[in-house]
Amino acid sequence: MKPKSPYWNWLAAAFALAGIIIFVFSTLGPPASSSGFVSTLKGVLGAWLPRYTENNPHYAAIPGPGSWLFAFVLGMAAGGFVGGRTWNRPVKDVPEIWQSRFGSSRIKRYAAAFAGGFIILFASRLAGGCTLGLFISGSTQLALSGLYFGVLIFFFAMVTARLIYQRQPHKGGKQ
Amino acid sequence: MTDIFLGLFSGMAFGFVIQRTGATDPDKMARAHLMIEPDIPRFMLMAVILSAAGLVGLTLAGTAHTTVLPVSILATGLAGILFGVGWGLCGYCPGTTWAAVGEGRMDAVFALAGGLAGTALFAHFHPVLIPLLYSPTNLGPVTLTDLLGGNPVAGLGLIIALFGGAIWGIGRLWEDPGHD
Repeated sequence: MKPKSPYWNWLAAAFALAGIIIFVFSTLGPPASSSGFVSTLKGVLGAWLPRYTENNPHYAAIPGPGSWLFAFVLGMAAGGFVGGRTWNRPVKDVPEIWQSRFGSSRIKRYAAAFAGGFIILFASRLAGGCTLGLFISGSTQLALSGLYFGVLIFFFAMVTARLIYQRQPHKGGKQ
Repeated sequence: MTDIFLGLFSGMAFGFVIQRTGATDPDKMARAHLMIEPDIPRFMLMAVILSAAGLVGLTLAGTAHTTVLPVSILATGLAGILFGVGWGLCGYCPGTTWAAVGEGRMDAVFALAGGLAGTALFAHFHPVLIPLLYSPTNLGPVTLTDLLGGNPVAGLGLIIALFGGAIWGIGRLWEDPGHD
């Protein structure tokens, strides 16, 4: 007997997520997350260096924090907060699989998270979108850009995870 | 103003759903990449199939707001490789960092900070990098529909076949360790 998973069934969850995605497409536009990073910076930097953000083509192309794109990522944080507070499992600052490979050093994990976050956003801004804004929204619109990006991100994430964790078997949830 | 509330509301729903599927948990994401956790990739791919079908409906009803991003062989390709490396390294993608920060994950705070730094660096060098990497191999906003002679139903059918096949393959190839 397998214990009951605390997570939603993937198929039911896919219906829920698709419902939200279709709602956003019908009211606002293609849902996106990496644009929210640009909006955030545009707001922060624009307050101090308005000339810089006005003249930089990257900031000029994305609306600032008074936009739905910023509201969307802020909403995601709020949704994650509600999800976390109504959840019966405590979150871990160092993931179990990371800890069993690299130990419980918070510094090491935070440094890797910072580096990973840096790389994914640098790459997203080069491509024009991320997992949501380019892969999911793009593929939903049958865009070649989204499909091409999607194949590469899954493949290289799988290769990288194998190198980092050295394919060590990790059976979930035996904490 | 309505847009901001719609964005906030949709973002909250989105953040809640991805938290409940475990996509905000970098441990679960790493196991998905190591082929020992099949639910996250199946969830993502199935969401695309359903959204694509819904979007065809919206388009027929004339209420879709679409923006197809162009594909640049070099820039989109290079970005995909880099993104994969970063995703495999930290277990977060840009959207999940926001939800994971809300959930209270301290490593996600660092991923978010790193993301802001990466965005700032790219934006600063945008005037150099876009003409260098993006523009020369930019094929424009091409869709499967364009490639299939303008038939959106054929494009949707191809997406269903490709993504449905991938979901089936994940069910066969990924180990299912049961529930965690």
